[in-house]
Amino acid sequence: MKRSINNKSVLHKLTGEVENADHPLMKQIREEGVRKLEETRFPTSRDEEWRFLDLKPITRTDFVPSDQAGSKPIDNPEHYFIPESDSSRIVFVNGRFDRELSSVDGLPEDLIAGNIRDHLDHPAVKSYLNKLVNYEDDPFTSFNSSFFKDGGFIYIPEGVTVDHPIQLLNLYSDAEKEYFATPRVLVVAEPEATATIIEDHIGVAGNKYLTVPVTEFKLYQKAHIHHVRIQRDSRKAVHVSRPITYLEKHAEYHSYTITLGGKLTRNEPRVIQEEEEVSFTVDGLVLIDGEQIADTHSLLDHRFSHAESHQLHKVVVKEHAHSIFNGKIFVRRDAQKIDSFQENRNLLLSEEGQVNTKPQLEIFADDVLCSHGATIGQLDPEEVFYLESRGMTKEKAKEVLTYAFALETIENIKVESVHKLLIEEVKRYTSAEKSETVSA
Amino acid sequence: MLEIKNLHANVEGEEQEILKGVNLTIKPGEVHALMGPNGSGKSTLAKVIAGHHDYEITDGEILFEGEDLNELDPDERAHLGIFLAFQYPVEVPGVTNNTLLRESYNTIATSRGREELDPIEFDDYLTQKLELVDMKRDFLERSVNTGFSGGEKKRNEIFQMAVLEPRLALLDETDSGLDIDALQVVADGIKKMRNKENAFLLVTHYQRMLNYIVPDIVHVMIGGKIVKTGDKELAMQLEEKGYDWLESLATVNGEKDA
Ligand SMILES: Nc1ncnc2c1ncn2[C@@H]1O[C@H](COP(=O)(O)OP(=O)(O)O)[C@@H](O)[C@H]1O
Ligand SMILES: [Mg+2]
Repeated sequence: MKRSINNKSVLHKLTGEVENADHPLMKQIREEGVRKLEETRFPTSRDEEWRFLDLKPITRTDFVPSDQAGSKPIDNPEHYFIPESDSSRIVFVNGRFDRELSSVDGLPEDLIAGNIRDHLDHPAVKSYLNKLVNYEDDPFTSFNSSFFKDGGFIYIPEGVTVDHPIQLLNLYSDAEKEYFATPRVLVVAEPEATATIIEDHIGVAGNKYLTVPVTEFKLYQKAHIHHVRIQRDSRKAVHVSRPITYLEKHAEYHSYTITLGGKLTRNEPRVIQEEEEVSFTVDGLVLIDGEQIADTHSLLDHRFSHAESHQLHKVVVKEHAHSIFNGKIFVRRDAQKIDSFQENRNLLLSEEGQVNTKPQLEIFADDVLCSHGATIGQLDPEEVFYLESRGMTKEKAKEVLTYAFALETIENIKVESVHKLLIEEVKRYTSAEKSETVSA
Repeated sequence: MLEIKNLHANVEGEEQEILKGVNLTIKPGEVHALMGPNGSGKSTLAKVIAGHHDYEITDGEILFEGEDLNELDPDERAHLGIFLAFQYPVEVPGVTNNTLLRESYNTIATSRGREELDPIEFDDYLTQKLELVDMKRDFLERSVNTGFSGGEKKRNEIFQMAVLEPRLALLDETDSGLDIDALQVVADGIKKMRNKENAFLLVTHYQRMLNYIVPDIVHVMIGGKIVKTGDKELAMQLEEKGYDWLESLATVNGEKDA
């Protein structure tokens, strides 16, 4: 394919690396990806949607495709497997499917969980792959579409309940060069299908990489999906993700996104209501310190009547870290009887830390119950003193209170090993005197 | 045990003096009552003893077992066996009573050279203490004071005191907001905990509490000073006559403190 000449951003410069595809669907997706990428300008912090965000960690690096990066083997990948998903696990290394590490024997027979490349002729793939993802003027989705070769495909047939959580494990290896990865996921849940999906992003070393995951979910009527997303990227990594979910009547989608790693994270969850009577959760927990930046721009789009939505976005900022939250809630004109809760609570534990928050409600219907709020605060000194008076050191008291603040989101995650693992992560974060330095 | 000499204190960074020369001596085995009108500085005194960060000692000293408390952080004072039952117990969402008490008990035990209890032993221990204040087990799994009624909060303070077994307990208006039954429970709890080694300072407005626990010594604080000290008869007098007849005692050098 020909090299783009009109826009020299790091993403645009890479279009010359896009390979030709054999399969007509992939060919079409890639061509469209490149075309759209070339039509789209790379954002700057002067753009309203990118205000406050320092994009230098992306723009100042010449990332190469991961297969040209001289990546090193991962020592102990089993370490990142969750036991409940012992035989329901799909693994990607630097965005490429790893058949050997994957294991899907434990899943119901007619369920599909595997590499999307092996299922390009599946009707659900034809109908939805790259059709659901919808982000305006966004070079990152086009970038992913231009480059992904593999991806997770999970198809849950009508009425099937998956007993074990499915782990979508994304490992990022150490490498000689700074590389980019384009993980891709399509989940289609047929009517009355039920499953829990654990999407994990883990940087196994301290190296720098760029990952741009695009995740498409389609829930048919009465489908129930729990979606846990854990971002444990390396502390130099850049993570720009686009998870989008569509809900039919009586569908339920509950997502919990835990952001721990990365130098720069930009996460844009979107939930789109396609029919009446849906229920969804888009909760988040962000624990950052050092020089980390974490930006969540979410969109909850209530298009029809009788929707219940819940968004609790909790953030703890230490040291020089910087959190940004922009939570759009749309309630369209025909969407009556909407019950929507949104709250962004920020705990700012240092003088140097920074928090920007902007709940953004756009309500065009009248019979709507919308509660929303944002708070930025320190620990309450009376609470600290109370615990001190009971014998805890001031540091311990602060740790206990920070831990309690962070725990609320995690309590809803019912997969035991994941719950435990996250508690350990929260403890590690709250008790860290200083943030870990990156082990290169 | 506790010796307070000419204690002056104000809110850190503010001119206005709140404690204006308090003298108070408490010996092991004693129960003291501290009475006085609203705003006279009773809570401030209790909080200063416990080490609250809002206050600054400008003169005088507080000795506990001969040690200068001003040098110690609040947790270190707790380790020595000082306990404050708050007038307004703080809600701590997300931290269960159980977590708080295990953490507290074990740090205090370690610093006092006692054995830590393992979770099973500790659970047995808590069960005994729950009975002492007539509280249900589900109390343990609730977040500290969060959503508790006024009475439940006060009772929780006494429960914590029972668990931590302090040497000097400062009970700041633990009796207000309690109905008669709860007051009885709290008073019985305190009576059972009383021994020759420990001491209590009961801050209260009312004679009511003192009908259940008879104090050895009664102090009246007005305008940041202890203006009168007596025995239980003094508390009765206050119940009858109020504080007005003592106001003149708060006057120093002809200048009355507001
Ligand atoms: N943290 C504080 N900040 C400002 N003023 C305070 C503070 N603590 C106490 N005070 C003032 O000190 C005086 C005594 O208060 P307090 O000790 O609570 O009285 P009491 O407990 O006897 O009712 C009051 O005038 C009160 O407003
Ligand atoms: Mg008071």
